[in-house]
Amino acid sequence: MIIQGLKIALESLWANKMRSFLSMLGIVIGVGAVIAIVSVGSGSTESVTSNISELGSNMITISPRIMRGRFGQMSGVSSQDKFTVELANYMEEFCPSVSRVISTKQISGLFIYDDVNVNANLVGTEPYFREINNYQIGQGRFINDQDNQKRNQVIVLGSELATDLFENDNPVGQKVKVNYQGRIFMFQVVGVMKEKGGSMAGNLDNQAYIPLTIAMDRMTNSNYISSYIAQATSSQKAPQAVKELENFMVKFLDDEDQEQFRIMSQDELLDTVSSVTNTMSMMLGGIAAISLLVGGIGIMNIMLVSVTERTREIGIRKALGARNKNILFQFLMESLSLSSLGGIAGIGFGWIAAYFLSQYGNWPFVISGLSVILAFGFALFIGIFFGLYPAMKAAQMNPVDALRYE
Amino acid sequence: MKNRTIRVENLKKNYYLGKMKVEALRGISFEIDSGEFVSIMGPSGSGKSTLMHIIGCLDYPTGGKYYLVGEDVTKLDDNQLAIFRNQKIGFVFQQFNLLPRATNLKNVELPLIYAGITNARKREEIARKALEEVGLGDRIAHRPNEISGGQRQRVAIARALVNHPSIILADEPTGNLDSKTGLDIMKIIQKLYEEGNTIVLVTHEPEIARYARRIIHLKDGLIEQDEVVA
Repeated sequence: MIIQGLKIALESLWANKMRSFLSMLGIVIGVGAVIAIVSVGSGSTESVTSNISELGSNMITISPRIMRGRFGQMSGVSSQDKFTVELANYMEEFCPSVSRVISTKQISGLFIYDDVNVNANLVGTEPYFREINNYQIGQGRFINDQDNQKRNQVIVLGSELATDLFENDNPVGQKVKVNYQGRIFMFQVVGVMKEKGGSMAGNLDNQAYIPLTIAMDRMTNSNYISSYIAQATSSQKAPQAVKELENFMVKFLDDEDQEQFRIMSQDELLDTVSSVTNTMSMMLGGIAAISLLVGGIGIMNIMLVSVTERTREIGIRKALGARNKNILFQFLMESLSLSSLGGIAGIGFGWIAAYFLSQYGNWPFVISGLSVILAFGFALFIGIFFGLYPAMKAAQMNPVDALRYE
Repeated sequence: MKNRTIRVENLKKNYYLGKMKVEALRGISFEIDSGEFVSIMGPSGSGKSTLMHIIGCLDYPTGGKYYLVGEDVTKLDDNQLAIFRNQKIGFVFQQFNLLPRATNLKNVELPLIYAGITNARKREEIARKALEEVGLGDRIAHRPNEISGGQRQRVAIARALVNHPSIILADEPTGNLDSKTGLDIMKIIQKLYEEGNTIVLVTHEPEIARYARRIIHLKDGLIEQDEVVA
């Protein structure tokens, strides 16, 4: 009965090829849009997420907040003077989900080489800075433990800064002067990093890296660092690590409102990204749903025309013994065939569109099975929903009137 | 009691054209026995089409009783009426009323489909036999628009016979045919009568009506005369 019905339905759709095609188009576009949008959404999210992960593995930064002056109180009475190198060790000790904490001291100075001078940031740090940032060496080496212990005046340049200063010369082995607050420091270039781009710590490429001890003891003569970079034991543990660090800092600084420090993690960044992509997906999904709805109305319209046109056929069938449910089934089968053919074409169309978009946007080509099933299921639902009224109209026709219809 | 195929008692049918009430049938009673050949005659507006629709189980009467092979048709619902049309009645229409896109074979198969015969090969065989009986064994794969009017009406007759109905209801079967082809069709109907089928023929042409053994004349919704033809 179902195969028979399907055959009859397809035959009558075939008899009106152009009309059937046009009424299918709405469903084709709707289903195609759903599939393409979901694919683009998950593909671009995947690429952004992997970009964020490349920024560093499970990185959390803890930095002091500069306090506002209120009621005539001096501004700048901040917790900055509590951020010591030793504190990093305590964090490691008291936060089980944190595997490593390193300190950085950020200052800025004027770099001088030959007749070129460039203003840039200097980051005094520890060797692990490289690993935690997933930062690759281009040439030479990074700061090592010996540099820190022996207070070697060595410097590693970010790729951009290296080109700015040296242009085509090889920087490794050269000497560079840094003017920091009127004093001149001489550094030997021991390495140049690969290009990295953005990171949670800003653009790494236009900075230079020196041993923490040089920045603290020789240059600033200060006991307090600029910020800590902590690493969670795993990405799953990152939220837990953030909590532990928060608790630790709240207790340590006696700062319930977290006014004196700020913790930022990659997760927060990922959350922001995923909330943005979710909003986008929902918006585009809404458009796709509207397109499906319009497609459904198109099908209903065509089915109503078809029912009116075939009034006589309905009359003949009824005279020969077709029951109301036979007629209902026949027309429902037709709208269902329309929408499911449209759905299949839409899947193909969406697939191709998603492929070309992924090539164009340079993200991975992903088709989720769920989106295919969902879009196709929705198309079938629309076929039934919008086919039901015309089919009922056909089924309830009075046979005498239907037979008389010219 | 004799085996009455059709028994109609005080049948009435009113309908409305806009706000105007039309009394199409105003109380009609007659009986038709199994194996009879009856013509229903009358001018247009006499109520013969309305009567045919009710006898054909296509419509309900407003009042009165209609028994078809002993069953009170006025008490049946839409669904049961459809089954009755399928099983008890074979229609032959003036307009042939074939499905233009289906082949002759498929057209004849239709009543079998609605009778619930799901075996396609069996359906085909029955339909082919019916077409052979009306002399169209070589036209089964043609479509109605590829054959002549007389052949179309023969396809319709094959379709009417295919479920072995209790009555064959022919509504102006020669109305759309030239007189020679019309004669051919009447010969087939005559033959069906001789084979023992019950035939009700609705017409306004006296020459056609005279093929029957009995003529019921209708006028203004009432029986004017119920004559037996010699």
